Amino acid sequence: MTLLLVVAVPLVFGVLCLVLPTSPLRLAAMVAGALAHLVVVLQSWPASDTPAPGDLVGLDPLGHLFLTIISVLFAATSVYFVGYHRKRLVSQRVFLACVLALLAALSLLCTSQHLGLLWVALESASLATTPLIYFRLGARALEATWKFLLMNSVGVALALLGIFCVAIATTKHEGVIVLTVADLARRAADLDPTWLRVGFLLGLVGFGTKMGLAPLHSWKPDAYGEAPPPVAALMAGGVTLGAFAGILRMFQVCAAAGLGAFAGAWLIGFGLLSIATAAVFVVGNNDYRRLLAYTSVEHMGVLVVGIGLGATGSYASMLHAMHNMLNKGATFFLAGFLWRLYESNEISTVRGTLIRSPLAGVLLLAALCATCGLPPFGMFFSELGIVLAAAGSGRWWVLAVFVLTLAVVFVGVMTAMLPMVFGDPPENASPSEIEQPSQRWRRAAMLGAAGVLLVLGFGLGAYQPTPVRDALVRAADAIHRPHVDVVAVSRVQSEVRP
Amino acid sequence: MNAHTIIDSVLVLVILLNLGMLAVSRLASGVRLFALQSLLLAFLPLAGDVFKGEPLGLHGFVIAAGTIALKVILIPYILLRIIRTGEVHREVEPFIGFTASVFVGAILVIGSFAVAVRLPLPTEPVSKLIVPVALSTLLLGLLTLVSRLKAITQVLGFLVLENGIFILGLLLLKQTPLLVELGILLDLFVGVFIMAIVVYHIRREFDHMDTHLLDVLKES
Repeated sequence: MTLLLVVAVPLVFGVLCLVLPTSPLRLAAMVAGALAHLVVVLQSWPASDTPAPGDLVGLDPLGHLFLTIISVLFAATSVYFVGYHRKRLVSQRVFLACVLALLAALSLLCTSQHLGLLWVALESASLATTPLIYFRLGARALEATWKFLLMNSVGVALALLGIFCVAIATTKHEGVIVLTVADLARRAADLDPTWLRVGFLLGLVGFGTKMGLAPLHSWKPDAYGEAPPPVAALMAGGVTLGAFAGILRMFQVCAAAGLGAFAGAWLIGFGLLSIATAAVFVVGNNDYRRLLAYTSVEHMGVLVVGIGLGATGSYASMLHAMHNMLNKGATFFLAGFLWRLYESNEISTVRGTLIRSPLAGVLLLAALCATCGLPPFGMFFSELGIVLAAAGSGRWWVLAVFVLTLAVVFVGVMTAMLPMVFGDPPENASPSEIEQPSQRWRRAAMLGAAGVLLVLGFGLGAYQPTPVRDALVRAADAIHRPHVDVVAVSRVQSEVRP
Repeated sequence: MNAHTIIDSVLVLVILLNLGMLAVSRLASGVRLFALQSLLLAFLPLAGDVFKGEPLGLHGFVIAAGTIALKVILIPYILLRIIRTGEVHREVEPFIGFTASVFVGAILVIGSFAVAVRLPLPTEPVSKLIVPVALSTLLLGLLTLVSRLKAITQVLGFLVLENGIFILGLLLLKQTPLLVELGILLDLFVGVFIMAIVVYHIRREFDHMDTHLLDVLKES
């Protein structure tokens, strides 16, 4: 039932957005759709189990966690968008419908157990995102859209090729093996290792393009820089997570087939390269949305490095996935607010947010600290977890490169963006539209949504409730042992314990 | 003439069409060659069944019909329409000259055969040419994608790349459920449709379809 609802609810509200006559009604339909989705997802906890063999869709611990993360992000973004949106937008119907279609596609992606179905869902998500990027029209948005569309289409096509290679790997023996993660993992010994390797690498490159791993990230700063900030938030926190799920599904199969070390080495390589690339481009960047896009490249790198480092690293990676969503949501929400406030993308123009809008200044400062992984924000613990996992497995060079590049990003982001918070505001600046007293509700919606995500990031970093921890642990466990019934194992363990 | 020879010759024809697409200077001819290539490929899932002596499966039929409807009729129609309505020079304007790109293409084909030898299939396929032909189609599609300036030629390159993946998919009709394959075809169609819309906007915005004007966004 949950499986049907998580896809159907956003689609129904998406159709409503298309047909409703007035703008406030359509906005209300979008918010209602996103919130209804969140309610459905939240009340589906704690029931997640191992899908039966042959099931095309199912709620396993990994998919369930990702689904929840994405749902929270969409709920926050829909509230934010009500404050952000202005009447000048071109076709509000199409925009809102595409947002909800994206939510439906990502929900299908998180719940799909079949690699082919996962691909279809991811490609649909790409297609639903394209009109969102081109929303502001004009040459620059067009360029960003074209780059996004072409690079992602080619990337996703390569991922399909990778999935086909995995399918070829199943033809070694008589009898058909269905391409679901559970079936593949259960019969991993019957898979042809050469084709499985080829399949994983193509999948990594393909899904990696969509995720924005270096060197296939070049669409990312353009798209995040040109798309409306709420869309950038959805992409950086949600769509990339969907692509990450694709990589994880392929990794699950490899791990079950005993190719975990091979796959892990490639993940670490791509991850470190991404963090290093981000470190190079963060320094000296004068466009805060492009700069934030590079921090997204960095955080994607952290995610895959964690998986490559084995079970402990994977837990840190799951933690990072959660905090990445909270963080990217909050930072891009604030970026959108700054854009409304200063009407400029340039870091050198935005000065003294703390004086001009104290609440936004405080939130921006907190968001910066969260992005750079200062405690007690959650990213500190996830990155620390990865450092510990690297040390624990004796991979000292991974640890060295990881810490060094993160430090460069830290310095780059802080030197560029701290003056945006402090500094002196421009003297003869005329008050922008958002500062009018009549616009208070807009400010409340925008800063409120960012604030909630930041408070969550702060709270879940400082204190982790047992259900959250359980969810993360079980998801991390499922990555390395997809065929074992994790629920049963943890039940046995808890019974054994005194 | 035996069954394998027919499939083999069709696959060889597919490679020749690929090289032909690199050589032609008119956009419309390129699109027509693509349609012809897709038509050849559409019959392969059926041919596989026939030559194995198995009854024609519904699965193969639906895929063949879907491929013909989309890649032979609908997509070429959309692309040709865009080309015809555009009041711009209709030549391809390559980054690399025609002769040079055919030459590079030939090297890629040889390379794919060399790679395919090292990747033996787990079971004997209908034709030994499937993997090398799939690889070279894919690589030639990528070549078109990166070496041509016009947005619409890039779309064509992407479609050829998809055809390469489709050839590999022929080996796997049993493994993938019909629903998923139809989903793949639908996604491809919507993807090309959206690309066509964006190409249209690019032309309106810049007065032509060259993508080298799309280079404002970069690190200063």
